[in-house]
Amino acid sequence: MKFLLDGLTVHFPYEYIYPEQYRYMLELKRALDARGHCLLEMPTGTGKTITLLSLITSYQLAHPEVGKLVYCTRTVPEMEKVLAELKELIDYRSRYFQGPGQSPPQILALGLSSRKNLCIHPRVQEEGSRESVDAKCRRLTAAWVRERHVSAPDIEVCSFFEDLERAGQDAVLDPGIYTLHDMRVLGRKKGWCPYFLARHMLAFCNVVVYNYQYMLDPKVANMVSRELEKECIVVFDEAHNIDNVCIEALSVNIRQQTLNLAGSNITRLRSAIDKAKATDAQRLKDEYNRLWSGLAQQGHLPAQNRSPLPGGEDTLANPALPQDILQEAVPGNIRRAEHFLAFLRRFIEYLRQRLNVQVVETETPATFLANLQEKVAIEGKTLRFCYDRLASLLKTLEITDVDDFTPIHLVADMATLVGTYARGFAIIIEPYDDRLPSVPDPVIQLSCLDASLAMKPVFSKFQSVVITSGTLSPIDLYPKILNFNPVVIQSFKMTLTRDCLCPVVLTRGTDQMPLSTKFEMRSDAGVVHNYGRMLVELSATIPDGIVCFFVSYLYMDQIVAKWHDMGVLQDLMAYKLLFIETQDVVETTLALDNFRRACDCGRGAMFFSVARGKVAEGIDFDRHYGRCVVMMGVPYQYTLSRILRARLEYLRETFQIKESDFLAFDAVRQSAQCVGRVIRSKADYGMMIFADKRYQRHDKRDKLPGWITTHLKDAHLNLSTDMLMHVAREFMRGMAQPYDRMAVGRSLLTEEQANSMNAATAAGLA
Amino acid sequence: MEEAGPSQPRGWDQQDPEALIDDQDPQGEEAADLSAFQREYEDDHSWEQLQEDEHGHLRAIDMREEQRAKRKRLLSAAMSARIRRGMIRYLQVVVDLSRAASIQDMRPNRAAAMASVLVSFIREFFDQNPLSHLGIIIMRNGRSERLSELSASPEFHINKLRSNLDAGGDASLMNGLDMAVDSLKAIPSYGHREVLVLFAALSTCDPGNIQDSVKSAQQHKCRVSCIGLAAEVHICRLSAQETGGTYGVALGEKHMEELVMGHAPPPPSRAADSAASLVRMGFPQRRPEGSDSMALIGKECTLLSGGFTCPRCLALVPELPSSCHVCGLTLVSSPHLARSYHHLFPIKPFVEVSADAVTQAMAAPNTQQRLQANDSSIWCYSCSSNLIQPDEADNTEAGVVVRCPDCGLFFCYDCDSYIHESLHNCPGCEAVGTEERFDDAVKMVE
Repeated sequence: MKFLLDGLTVHFPYEYIYPEQYRYMLELKRALDARGHCLLEMPTGTGKTITLLSLITSYQLAHPEVGKLVYCTRTVPEMEKVLAELKELIDYRSRYFQGPGQSPPQILALGLSSRKNLCIHPRVQEEGSRESVDAKCRRLTAAWVRERHVSAPDIEVCSFFEDLERAGQDAVLDPGIYTLHDMRVLGRKKGWCPYFLARHMLAFCNVVVYNYQYMLDPKVANMVSRELEKECIVVFDEAHNIDNVCIEALSVNIRQQTLNLAGSNITRLRSAIDKAKATDAQRLKDEYNRLWSGLAQQGHLPAQNRSPLPGGEDTLANPALPQDILQEAVPGNIRRAEHFLAFLRRFIEYLRQRLNVQVVETETPATFLANLQEKVAIEGKTLRFCYDRLASLLKTLEITDVDDFTPIHLVADMATLVGTYARGFAIIIEPYDDRLPSVPDPVIQLSCLDASLAMKPVFSKFQSVVITSGTLSPIDLYPKILNFNPVVIQSFKMTLTRDCLCPVVLTRGTDQMPLSTKFEMRSDAGVVHNYGRMLVELSATIPDGIVCFFVSYLYMDQIVAKWHDMGVLQDLMAYKLLFIETQDVVETTLALDNFRRACDCGRGAMFFSVARGKVAEGIDFDRHYGRCVVMMGVPYQYTLSRILRARLEYLRETFQIKESDFLAFDAVRQSAQCVGRVIRSKADYGMMIFADKRYQRHDKRDKLPGWITTHLKDAHLNLSTDMLMHVAREFMRGMAQPYDRMAVGRSLLTEEQANSMNAATAAGLA
Repeated sequence: MEEAGPSQPRGWDQQDPEALIDDQDPQGEEAADLSAFQREYEDDHSWEQLQEDEHGHLRAIDMREEQRAKRKRLLSAAMSARIRRGMIRYLQVVVDLSRAASIQDMRPNRAAAMASVLVSFIREFFDQNPLSHLGIIIMRNGRSERLSELSASPEFHINKLRSNLDAGGDASLMNGLDMAVDSLKAIPSYGHREVLVLFAALSTCDPGNIQDSVKSAQQHKCRVSCIGLAAEVHICRLSAQETGGTYGVALGEKHMEELVMGHAPPPPSRAADSAASLVRMGFPQRRPEGSDSMALIGKECTLLSGGFTCPRCLALVPELPSSCHVCGLTLVSSPHLARSYHHLFPIKPFVEVSADAVTQAMAAPNTQQRLQANDSSIWCYSCSSNLIQPDEADNTEAGVVVRCPDCGLFFCYDCDSYIHESLHNCPGCEAVGTEERFDDAVKMVE
């Protein structure tokens, strides 16, 4: 359908549109018009992705002055899904431009991912990890390798890269939508390297889909996204955990082993310098001169050597944010390569000494620096240049196997971050993991406490940033912790033709004793027994798949062991097969696969999973795979973690967010995320059981997303197990009845209805 | 939120891990919430929808809604007129008597509820499909048992079913399906193969891959329909979908009965499934009744008088319709064939009319439906009950009023269902037809 929305022609590839999609578009358009950021919550299963794509591409068509659509996803499968939907949309849109003298508007969209997902070199792509693929690629494509190849043809280079390089400016993609797979196919056909082609085409495309990291992690973003224009529209999809992504991007952990390896890295560098001195002293001298003259980008190779394509010589950029990097010459004491290595060695020795602690130490970067100055006479300002200085050195020494040098990079990362930021960070040194106090495992954690640090350059650089997800509640907390002013904040509800969500709060067992995973209650035999009986009865009432989320792996292990002793598991097995998520990815994948098979063949199965685990974040339990999801307890974070404590303190001091508020917010968003796994479309139905008496409290319930709370009836609060079974039986029977899938007019709008809604709003404004 | 046990050494201080979490127990909310639950689920004042009339009969306050719902079902059957139907059906009823059948959410329990519905279904089935055969398979203890072979005598099935109702163990849908499909495989191509599964359990414990069984059912053109007793089970829906059957979940005993009875009229047949073919049938002679004609009759050799003689092999069979136990010939009587006929040409659904329309029609002169010229009310054409004003003596509410689209006469709800369910002829059309024919005849004579 094609309809007018507030003066904008929108192409939408389906015959009907949900009312909430229409409203979503309206709000989104308002934000784009105002050139501001927005925060939109709309439940999953309402076609969020297609709504976003449909409106933004239509907007681009009507307003050529807006830039690219940069669509950030969390995983590669999500990325492929977005591109597939876009393809459908564009195919549909082209049909409207078939008339004589008309040609469909051209659009170029592509997905960008790491070399590991894009490489087509027969040997390189077989490498296991992302780092080793990167390193192998660099070994074949670095400028000096290719230079040497000219004189000595037996030095191997990558033919795909060479062909792309030879094609030069002619190497462009035809307009169209390219998924990662399409890029690889095209690369093979033309003999061009898909990764560098994608990087090259970034400047010319209308839509680019890539991972969060490419936008948020300054190391990657400076390399990839620096040249994106200001007018771009940036979308973060599934962004409920965006603050954690931001924090991870700026945090560094260093262990004993890292320091040891960094030490040997230095030794290798040392011998490389000696060798270079013997053979090609000029190179080192050139570098020194460059650093001394304070080129803007220290360590870049001279301009005449630079090809239009950055080859393997481009390494990750500075971990600090662009505006915080000092644009001045590297200080004298680390300009010479030998001096720099000695400096690093000193720093590593200092860290090693700090690691040798018996008790936990927490300090701010300022005290850390003061201590550093006092003990080994290292200045904070010098530390800031560590990262760039190291990158320059590696380039000068023409080192390509950068994956071996990851440890020294980590150390340099940390040095630069500590040197740059005085606020928003904490340094925590722990002698052992709290969970395993007997195993010494000292670690220095440079932990970012402020999610807004990494978001800030994105918000300030780009005109419109859209943050959206199915669960962003309470929505007013996000602007606070990300520290920005959205022009539109909106949470949408799902229009349903029937009550296909059934959230219930279970507070008591059959014996009326309270149910909770509270610390003082959770190991109580009565509570464990009541939880177990609840699951057994549920498995006799709910068909096909049930998913059950626990608050942590540890708690799951404990309670499952107890259930085994009590015979609960045996009773469960009479009705359902049991599958358990473990920390091993392969094992979990296998368990999931078998879980699905058990649901498919009618045996019925139950999946035990953990909130905040892989399954809770990325796996859907739609249709018969999840007729019911049980959230056992409130998934609070491990509150004794020092990092969390430090962050809570920072949030309280900086943003005036109470500790308990943040903890409850974080726990409830996790449980909303867990229970949301069960509904993936409007035709679906499922029960959501919040099994903890603490959900009865208003401060928890009110933090749930609106689309859940509207279905949370009074009659479904404060239930005991037997009442729950009654509710479940009625719900399952009711939902099995045939219903009118279409219900046009109520939950679906036709083209005319959409247009008339537009007319109505226009009249309302006038 | 993991904790090291309190006895284990802790790095820095002995703090309560949940000190920061503000988790006091809610107060004052509980009582209110319980009453909400009771309102929704427990206070089912079903008696409030009834009222007692002066004769002490209980009547529903508003029966129109109920009547409309029932009409809807009838209509959907009537709407699909002129559809090719499988008249000669071979139906295997698969009954789940697993552990789940002893659950008491239906009274007295699911197994008994299923049995009582099935008894009336079997009678209705043979009444509507005199040319068809039925067999019963039960699923119990992970196995399936053949309770009765495919045959055409309702009482035999009913007796078998009544004596076998103890439930236990797991259900295996695969075993049940395999057994049903196995027995239906051998049916000649004119027969319509059907399986009706009554599934009380929510899971099936199978020895192999049930998807293969569904495929084989599909290959052998068996139409598998399922009726669940508790909730939607994916595999049931899948097998119904793949084989062109229907799937329903019962809300209660009443709804289960409706769902099961929905399988009594013959289902539409797919043209590709059964090629038109001639079927050999015998129309046996009835033997005289009386003590002098006593003979050992039928497969069981019971001493009876009466019975029928197979025209081909002259064997004696006790009842019709059946197949001859000696030569296997299908034995029917001509009324049986005639009774099957109405499924092919059902009478049109009657249209519901509002009270206003009835009043208008009444105002028009020459309305046929007045008993007397001075009568101000309008009467059901078939039973002569008053359609507008409730009968004073009877004190009944006015029900739904319907009108035949062909003859335009009004009928009451009860007559509507009687006409569509049992009579299969519109009295109005028949009468008009006779009058016209009579008029024509008069004209010709003149």
